[in-house]
Amino acid sequence: MSRLQNLVPPFARRSAARDASEATVRPWYEIKETPDAWGLTAYLPGVAKDGLEITAEEGVITVRGRRQWKAPAGWTALYRESPESAYELALTHDNTIDVEKIHAELVDGVLRASLPKAEAIKPRKIAVS
Amino acid sequence: MRSLIRYTNPRSSLLPSFGFSTPVPWTGLENDIDRWFESTLSDFLSPAWENRFPVDLYEDKEHTYVRADLPGVSRQDINVEMVNGYLTISATRKTKGPEGEESFALSRSVAIPEDVHADQVSAAYENGVLTVTLPKKEEAKPRKITVEVK
Repeated sequence: MSRLQNLVPPFARRSAARDASEATVRPWYEIKETPDAWGLTAYLPGVAKDGLEITAEEGVITVRGRRQWKAPAGWTALYRESPESAYELALTHDNTIDVEKIHAELVDGVLRASLPKAEAIKPRKIAVS
Repeated sequence: MRSLIRYTNPRSSLLPSFGFSTPVPWTGLENDIDRWFESTLSDFLSPAWENRFPVDLYEDKEHTYVRADLPGVSRQDINVEMVNGYLTISATRKTKGPEGEESFALSRSVAIPEDVHADQVSAAYENGVLTVTLPKKEEAKPRKITVEVK
């Protein structure tokens, strides 16, 4: 992951807010770059559409997801590996993302978001006259 | 893991000396333990996750349940098998890579603590989580045998 971050300098991992009352886990994620956009893939198993929240502010894009499922009454946990806390992923960028055009979809616990680059940083070909 | 080996005491310089000849050795321990857990947890959720997935085991009176986090897998690429008291969940995750489709094989086996009806196992997949329901077998009723002594 650190190698990826070196390749993609505008994104930096920011540690999730360490709030004792609401601990969060950082989901597994991946960022890919195309000439026009950054593609974010994050695994959020157990999160449904209405439990997902994406906010963009001041150079930080935050993805928060809570697990929908709660163990029904009468169920006893014998062994647990999955985290119960909500997912939180905060990605900082230097305002090179066109926040208005962010497009995201959540299918089977996988979030795929396209974060289009702002016009200003797209490579531009300048015709020589 | 390296934080476990670290033996310096970060807070010792801040402690007023009350006549202790040595700083209290465990003042930084809580932080170290927190950090250790944090790193263990993040290791667990890091890319190593790619071919191993978290599994939970639950039970109620009549069933044993196994829940597995398998985000981004098609239902037809999940295979659930019950053999000799072990439940094996295997799945193939297909993702679009730069050179066409890439697929990752994932597999986990879980020992099921109680006898279950292997032929009545059912599974459901929702929001990237697979729930396998295993009906428990009726416990063998204790039988009383009277032996006639001659």
